Amino acid sequence: MKRVFVYAAAAIALVVALAPVYWLVTISLKREIDQFAYPPQWIGFTATLEHYVEAFSGGSFATYFLNSVILAASSTVAALLIGVPAAYGLARFEWPGNWSANIGDWILSTRMLPPIVTIVPLFLMLRQVHLLNSLLGLALVYTAFNLPFVVWMMRSFFEEVPKEIEEAARLDGETRLGALLRIVLPLVRPGLAATAVFCLIVAWNEFLFALILTQTETAMTLPVGIASQVTQYEIRWGAMSAAGVVAMLPVLVFATAAQRYLVRGLSLGAVKG
Amino acid sequence: MFRLASLLIVTVLVGCNRAPDKALTIAVNAGVEGTALKAAAKEWGEAHGTRVEVVELPYANLFEKEQLDLTSRTGAYDVIMLDDPWFPRLVEGGNLAPLPHNPDEGFVPSCLAVCRNPFGSGTYFALPYVGNSQLFFYRQDLFAKYNLAPPKTWHEVLSAAKIIGTQEKMFGYVMRAAPGNAVVADFMPLLWAFGGDVLDTSGKPVCDSPAAIEALRFMVELGKYSPPGYAGFNADEVSAHLLQSTAAMSINWPAWIAAMDDPSKSKVVGKIGFLPMLGERSPGVGELGTWLVAVPAGSKHQSDAFAFLYWATDAPQMQQAALRGNPPTRRSLFESPELTARFRAFPAQLASLESARPRPRTPLWNEIENTFGIYLSKANAGTMDPAEAMHNAAREISQILQRGQ
Amino acid sequence: MPALLVLFALSLYPLIFAARVSLTNSAGTFTLANFARLFQDRVFAVAAAQTLIFTAVALTIEFALGLGLALLIESLARGRVLFRAGLLVPMLLPPVVAAVAWRLIYNPQFGLLNGTLRQFGVNTSQLTWTSGESSALISVILVDIWEWTPFLFLLLSAGLQAIPLEPLEAARIDGAGPWQVFRDVILPLLKPTILLALLLRAMDLVRIFDQIFILTQGGPGTATETASLYIYRTAFRFSNFGYAAAMSFVLLAATMLFSRGLARLVRVR
Repeated sequence: MKRVFVYAAAAIALVVALAPVYWLVTISLKREIDQFAYPPQWIGFTATLEHYVEAFSGGSFATYFLNSVILAASSTVAALLIGVPAAYGLARFEWPGNWSANIGDWILSTRMLPPIVTIVPLFLMLRQVHLLNSLLGLALVYTAFNLPFVVWMMRSFFEEVPKEIEEAARLDGETRLGALLRIVLPLVRPGLAATAVFCLIVAWNEFLFALILTQTETAMTLPVGIASQVTQYEIRWGAMSAAGVVAMLPVLVFATAAQRYLVRGLSLGAVKG
Repeated sequence: MFRLASLLIVTVLVGCNRAPDKALTIAVNAGVEGTALKAAAKEWGEAHGTRVEVVELPYANLFEKEQLDLTSRTGAYDVIMLDDPWFPRLVEGGNLAPLPHNPDEGFVPSCLAVCRNPFGSGTYFALPYVGNSQLFFYRQDLFAKYNLAPPKTWHEVLSAAKIIGTQEKMFGYVMRAAPGNAVVADFMPLLWAFGGDVLDTSGKPVCDSPAAIEALRFMVELGKYSPPGYAGFNADEVSAHLLQSTAAMSINWPAWIAAMDDPSKSKVVGKIGFLPMLGERSPGVGELGTWLVAVPAGSKHQSDAFAFLYWATDAPQMQQAALRGNPPTRRSLFESPELTARFRAFPAQLASLESARPRPRTPLWNEIENTFGIYLSKANAGTMDPAEAMHNAAREISQILQRGQ
Repeated sequence: MPALLVLFALSLYPLIFAARVSLTNSAGTFTLANFARLFQDRVFAVAAAQTLIFTAVALTIEFALGLGLALLIESLARGRVLFRAGLLVPMLLPPVVAAVAWRLIYNPQFGLLNGTLRQFGVNTSQLTWTSGESSALISVILVDIWEWTPFLFLLLSAGLQAIPLEPLEAARIDGAGPWQVFRDVILPLLKPTILLALLLRAMDLVRIFDQIFILTQGGPGTATETASLYIYRTAFRFSNFGYAAAMSFVLLAATMLFSRGLARLVRVR
């Protein structure tokens, strides 16, 4: 009996979590007159792909999508490339005084920074080096704020790996770098995956910086594109929901695939650290 | 492997940065007003072999982006579309390039006046593209049914709203009172009709004058015949009510006329009548809301941009734009028989446009509208007494003016 | 190593710049006027208060629900992975998309929520959700709860999974009831996770922006105006960067103080 109750509760939670998403998907597939029909049509409505066609064949959204992909991928890769060695360094080498803890604190504090504080100076800085409204500029910014997280996460993962394993490998003739790549990294793979997925999601979903630092299609991302459907007179629900659905698909796919890693990664890394 | 991937990515990123030489970037309003300019821009691009990029942004964001671009001279946009109340702010600091030669005589004078700095007399910095001024929308069929003559004053509107509201299963009136631009736009005609104003001729706030307070009380009274929750309405809710036949009258913009007669969107095709704004104590004046096109001083393609500007606002192009649903800014087009046959509201639109009044010409209009809007909305939501709201508004507006910000 | 230096520089320079901007007026001379204005600014007071309310309410409910869900799902015999995957969906969405979906749902005339309620005979004429001044803040908080409870759920689940079995077994053998097990065994072991989760979420809540921007833009009036939104508007619509920077510093200081306190708790435990 209790089992039924428990499952029912879980099911209700699931419905609450997914209903709005489902609704968004249906709106993207409905004709305009049906979108606001009463009573609300959950199923059994005429489906149409016109909104998807309208949004993506017009060109803008396809560009936004591409931009988002490039941005998310490059900033994640860059953050990992820089952050992982840095984290390793923090975890392995002796640092004077209380450095390690302080760095940890400081990294946490960068997360506290309201983006507004940095946004105007960043805008001006990027303008100075002609990187405004460019994917490269935005990628640099995204890398910069994913970096603390990468370092923080990966450091605790590295700390988990016993030094003996590496030392054994080094005795066998491995270089430090070799030991890192061949022995340690595979061991922290869950953590790496979790971190990578987080970075990807953050970069993909990011809105404020993209809003301010981009000016034309060259660099605008999907979230900015979606927000721009809220016009002065009306909200283009069709295009917006179609774009929204497309915007959430990669994230969902990625995260579901990496779900196992996410939980394990978090339980190993964040909880301990 | 890693290195290859990162090299590839950097190349792609850098590659995306190259900008072609012959290019024009146009910032337009995401919405009906921008559609025509967008189409015109594409035509221009094809005819001149120039790569044209159109950036569509929603209203508030458009202003922010344009302001940012102009003040920091990033040169991201070569042509910008701006709502006339933004003009005093954007033209500051020499951020807009002056027109190489004055516009011709064919434009409606009220539209040209807002393109000059100082207002009405100075150098031209923009050309008017969308001839927008408020109209009064009402259900002709229902008025005929209850033997009501088309309304001429606001009090007539109120009594008609009462009658229709009680007899039919709908609301007599619908308006938008969401804080900000929405409520202010719907309030200005009332304010002016009752003889009030926001600022007097010396620039001091007079929104707490007896006439103004009376206008606000009237608005709240009229609100009783509007759908509940109207204090949070924006333009789309207002039009939705008209289109769905759940409300009978409203102030609205020409942009919505097409939708009213579109069977795929409207349940009231052919039933809506359009009138120039109604008066009360003073003759009716609609609020002017023309969209202008201008060239930022930081643009790197100024001569091309101006060439586009003159071309797009020339009679043949404006006619094309009109056929695409854009209200023109040239009298000849409003009087053209073929266009009038197609757009039945043109005579009303022309009358409205010629007599329309622009919003107060101050660079601080944004802040003022913001504050004013908050209080107007509160009064309509019933959370503040109209007199108190107006006094608060007046006080804060003077603070804004004093601070210069 | 160099990475950290770069990061340091990247985060420090903007701060210095912002500081300079907040301390000068339009004529370029040094002035504390921007900071002084903060005390008189009614809107800022409202924004700050609302940010606080938002953070407090959202955090509490998200935590309670997250914990409840974590316990619930962990206790399931089968289907854990499936449920977890589904429950995580809201937080994976781009906040912009979530806000769009909820805007659709909240529309008083044509939205899903009122539509469904009307089907059950509820009179929805007073249910204005995000369009009504008194209901807007709650409505926005609800969206945040919907969207981010999964985050707390995730962290707390991870924490629960990390709890070793021995103490639990021991307690059960000793005959402790489920509530006692929870209070005396699980909760203490979970404390670090709890504090971490609260800290992370609180920091994000204080900076809340995306959802409100799409849902209400701070309106109606100032009903959903939070600090971030007000700062944004001051900077980009009113072009007053100095004042915006001043406000940001105050916000930063407040967040830092709060987080310092919480972080010290985390480390002590």
